[in-house]
Amino acid sequence: MGKINDILSPFTAWKHLIREPLTIKKPLEREGADRYRGFHKNEIDKCIGCGTCEDICQNAAIDLVPVEGIETKHGDSGLRPKIDYGRCCWCALCVDICTTNSLSMSNEFTWIDEDADNFLFVPGADAKPWDNSEKGWKKPNYNLYNPNRVEMNELHPEERDKSFIEIVQGYSKGQALAEADRCVECGICTATCPAQMGIPEYIKAIRNDNLEEGLRILYDTNPLPEICGRICTHKCETVCSVGHQGDPISIRWLKRYIADQNPSEKFKKILGTDTIEQNGKKVAIIGSGPSGLSAAHYLALMGYSCTIFEKLPLAGGMMRYGIPEYRLPYDQIDKDINYILSLGVEIKYNTTIGKDITLEQLNKDYDAVFAGTGLHLGRSTKIPGSDNKNVYFATDLLREISLGNEIPIENKIVVIGGGNVALDITRSMARLQNQKYGKVNIITTSLESEDIMPADREEIIEGREEQAQIIPGWGPIEIEIENDKVKGLHVVKCLSVFDEDGRFNPKFDENIKNFFEADMIVESIGQGMDLSYLSVSIKENLEMDNRGRIIVNKHFQSSIEWLFLGGDIIQGPDVIHGIANGHKAAIGIDNYINNKK
Amino acid sequence: MKEIINKIEKLYPISDFKQQNDKTALLTVEQDKAVDLLIYMQKFEGFKHLAILTAVDWIENNQFQLSYIINNPELKMDLILRVFIDREKAEMTSIHNLWEQAATYQRELKEMFGINFPNSPRVDKPFILEGWDGLPPYRRDFDTKKYSEDTYFPREGRTKNNPVEYMKQKLYPDE
Amino acid sequence: MSKLFNIKEDRSLFPEKNEHGKIDIDLSSHKYLKMWHGPQHPGITGNMSLEITLLGDEVMDCETHVGYLHRGFEKLMERRKYIQCFPIVCRVSVPEPDFNEYCFAAAMEELAGIEIPETAKWLRTLVLEMARLASYLMWIGGQAGAFGQGIIGQWTNYLRDSMLDRFEELTGGRVYHMYIIPGGVRGLLPAGFKQRMEENLKFIEQMMQDVDKVMFNNAVFKKRSVDMGIIEKDWIYKFGITGPNARAAGIPLDVRKDNPYLAYPELDFETITASHSDIYNRADLRRKDLLLSIDLIRQIMAKMPDGGEIRAETPNVLHWKVPKGETYSKAECTRGEYGYYMVADGTEYPRRINVRGPSYTHAVSLLEKMIINCNLADIAGLMVSLHTYPPEIER
Ligand SMILES: Cc1cc2nc3c(=O)[nH]c(=O)nc-3n(C[C@H](O)[C@H](O)[C@H](O)COP(=O)(O)OP(=O)(O)OC[C@H]3O[C@@H](n4cnc5c(N)ncnc54)[C@H](O)[C@@H]3O)c2cc1C
Ligand code: SF4
Ligand code: SF4
Repeated sequence: MGKINDILSPFTAWKHLIREPLTIKKPLEREGADRYRGFHKNEIDKCIGCGTCEDICQNAAIDLVPVEGIETKHGDSGLRPKIDYGRCCWCALCVDICTTNSLSMSNEFTWIDEDADNFLFVPGADAKPWDNSEKGWKKPNYNLYNPNRVEMNELHPEERDKSFIEIVQGYSKGQALAEADRCVECGICTATCPAQMGIPEYIKAIRNDNLEEGLRILYDTNPLPEICGRICTHKCETVCSVGHQGDPISIRWLKRYIADQNPSEKFKKILGTDTIEQNGKKVAIIGSGPSGLSAAHYLALMGYSCTIFEKLPLAGGMMRYGIPEYRLPYDQIDKDINYILSLGVEIKYNTTIGKDITLEQLNKDYDAVFAGTGLHLGRSTKIPGSDNKNVYFATDLLREISLGNEIPIENKIVVIGGGNVALDITRSMARLQNQKYGKVNIITTSLESEDIMPADREEIIEGREEQAQIIPGWGPIEIEIENDKVKGLHVVKCLSVFDEDGRFNPKFDENIKNFFEADMIVESIGQGMDLSYLSVSIKENLEMDNRGRIIVNKHFQSSIEWLFLGGDIIQGPDVIHGIANGHKAAIGIDNYINNKK
Repeated sequence: MKEIINKIEKLYPISDFKQQNDKTALLTVEQDKAVDLLIYMQKFEGFKHLAILTAVDWIENNQFQLSYIINNPELKMDLILRVFIDREKAEMTSIHNLWEQAATYQRELKEMFGINFPNSPRVDKPFILEGWDGLPPYRRDFDTKKYSEDTYFPREGRTKNNPVEYMKQKLYPDE
Repeated sequence: MSKLFNIKEDRSLFPEKNEHGKIDIDLSSHKYLKMWHGPQHPGITGNMSLEITLLGDEVMDCETHVGYLHRGFEKLMERRKYIQCFPIVCRVSVPEPDFNEYCFAAAMEELAGIEIPETAKWLRTLVLEMARLASYLMWIGGQAGAFGQGIIGQWTNYLRDSMLDRFEELTGGRVYHMYIIPGGVRGLLPAGFKQRMEENLKFIEQMMQDVDKVMFNNAVFKKRSVDMGIIEKDWIYKFGITGPNARAAGIPLDVRKDNPYLAYPELDFETITASHSDIYNRADLRRKDLLLSIDLIRQIMAKMPDGGEIRAETPNVLHWKVPKGETYSKAECTRGEYGYYMVADGTEYPRRINVRGPSYTHAVSLLEKMIINCNLADIAGLMVSLHTYPPEIER
């Protein structure tokens, strides 16, 4: 009797008449789930305005805008994401990719407002009721890009502790591609690079496997890529947005990869510098350090005939005579410099300005002069005993090593200093000790405690791997001398190096003492400049500040308008600043010479 | 699948066979024999089901690729049959007699890519884009961004800043 | 009594056809009435419309019109990086977006050679079955509603909402889940999820018994659906019919069984078929499929790993270049074979993505054929019984 049943059965629906309704009584008060993707929140102080969220948003819902109270500074563009909820599709990809993990979503989804423009706001800056809500979408436990750096192949300590072979081996193609892939192309790093290199662009060139294009981008701002690809202080990496939730991109190694992969004989073709039209003007450059080379390079590209005067037998300045070979092999320095020379730049070696030729003479013979003479005089601690002949300056020893001269290597060595130069001499001496005695006995001591030692972390680690003892936090007070021989270094505990105002003003505890045995001591506490080539009359006309430093304008032009200066004597402290100075000076010199006629 | 390929290799001008995965294979066939092959596959090799007929614009080669995805329900195998046709003379024999729904696919291809299928029912009748007289929009040279910029207007009150440019302005404006 | 309502005339003889098998419609004869059915008609499944020609209240001719929803998804995707397509694809089919997410991700992963973690595989399967359940629940209300039984829609939409609650807590969204991300999924099950899900499933089962009594064991519903809108077995391949529409006609097409993907090989189930594809049988088959989904969800929850990795390592999504190649990935949605044909040219952008939604075949050529001789009042019921979603047609 199915038919009858079919008529009666539907009436069972009536039983629901007496059931509790299932509807939500106050829908506006219903809370979203814990993971709900509602209106955005942004921890505005954590956000760095990198714009990665904007890049991934396929709806173009995000604009980066300036926000009151947020300063633009290194590592922070000062911009913050503003979201247009007329476009947002609540996908939360912006949250998942946020480099700092500052962006998230609340579980708030009900918001009624008559003005559509209110639905366009900067989360975190424009206060909203859900700003403090705990719930809502947060970046899940996966990564949309790889936060971990591709490991660099390096020589093991035992393979390297006796020789000056380059330690860092460079990326293979696969490694470089993988590392370049991690970049989010935000460009925050560019402002922090002293030369404002086009970092995201050349990393992109690596991804596209277009290394010639990469090389062109490098040379736009940096004519020493092999060198910088090895020993640059890579300030860019300290602000890398990817570094906030992982390791920063190995910008330096990627630069080296581009330079390494392009053979030197093809440089001129790739860079389009086979023929350069000459303008008949001449510029003299004192010193073949990075600043001088960079100035010469950019001037040569503009058609100037450049002559570099160099005191030493080879070019490169501190890059050759300071930085040890195991960090920067000489053939790589040559590769960069030879290319610059191929543009018609001439170097007069073993020629000291102020001795062999006067500065005034250069002014007569050339249309302008650039001086990048660097810091080559060692500074002494001036503690008792420091005048002994077995107490040396680091830079002098490093120069002698590079010149290939024999230097004294004693059984027990103490290095005073905690910067990179101190580590360079430590690790060089350790190698030489190891070669000579088959063992290492070197102590490096600094005022600074380990956490604030100025040397790079890797340098300290690698130095220790090479059996150097690095003992930070001691102030040297006396070198003990017996029969004109060095016996060792007396030190006391250093409590702090800087005072409240951040000025250098070390405090010691004289009661905690220590003694480091030594028969040779190396001082590495900084270098001074030798400006003896500036004659008295020139010095009189040269504007200096109250600390005796030469004042230059933004083009590194001094108050004597034909004299431009740069590099360590003006700014420092590293190669890339020298390069940037030289580049700007080249532009300044060009302006100056053009305006002269 | 390999067996079938061995068989049809002798009969039809095919190339580029690839077993993409355990249920999908790829094959290219010359344009003038493509419909013959489809008939053969449908009638004799059990590829009874047409899942997709669509096109890919290889504008750089001046070609359209027509992709017929056919399925053999017994073998449980999909075959993506590719046919490259001239982009200038974008025309192909209709297969609405083999599969009824092909008429709809072909009508869409005509509208979106400008590929003609003579005699296919209603092939010239607008399908989705009534009143459209521009370039067939799924062609690569139709620029959707430009179209939307020309047709719509940006929301007021929105400005963009590039972090690199902005930081330059703020931190090193003269360089 | 049944005699009273039965008019056993061979309606297909009316009106007379010309030698091409077509009717000559002369509108000036004033015999015919042309009218638009949709795009706002409640019985229309989404925004599409039918241009129908009536003789009395009987359809003589029909043309499907789409385009109300055209956003050119496929073209838009060619201008977007792969990851940026991920939030778009779900929009192709509103009631079951997850199949788009899955097919897109699967095609991409295949071309890029990426294997997803085991847990992600199970979570994807779970989400796809949840989507199926939700979609059927919505559909069943539509089918009943099209024949005047509003109450079923009220019940089942509530049930669907309970499924959306689970979606919300698992994926962060109710309607568009954006959960199956290329490489894996975006989250593990929240604490207590399985228990809440089980409560929902129990309630759905209980309510489905009522639906059975009120909708299926219902003389009116039977009267209007039995022997209505028949799909002949030999049309299946001719029209590209898949899913329940084909299965009801006795052809066991089910991608889950035919080309098992994700965790389906490890699940125990049989493809449900019927032998006579009319509106009633299709509805009944979907009801059974719905109950099967409940069973599958239970199986999945019992078998799936509890924790673990949810997303494989992939290249940086901001510049993910998928290697040159092409493939077709498919899955069984509530309406049949859902497929993504993806062509990659080795750049960061897809070269071409073509979406095969089942509605593409069902709502145009098939519907246009089936609707002839249909009574005006039955059109809605017929359309819903094909279970179509217009955005798939125009993408
Ligand atoms: C041990 C050590 C390690 C360092 N490591 C790094 C590092 O890893 N990364 C980094 O970025 N920087 C490093 N630096 C710093 C870097 O080398 C210098 O900042 C940079 O070389 C300065 O460049 P410059 O052009 O000012 O001068 P310099 O490189 O100092 O070159 C000056 C040149 O001018 C010549 N010269 C001087 N006076 C005269 C004259 N009157 N007539 C003719 N020629 C003259 C000198 O012989 C010298 O060749 C290091 C420095 C030292 C000492
Ligand atoms: S991705 Fe994150 S850190 Fe970068 S701008 Fe956006 S919210 Fe700020
Ligand atoms: S949630 Fe998605 S659509 Fe919305 S702003 Fe973020 S990325 Fe854009």
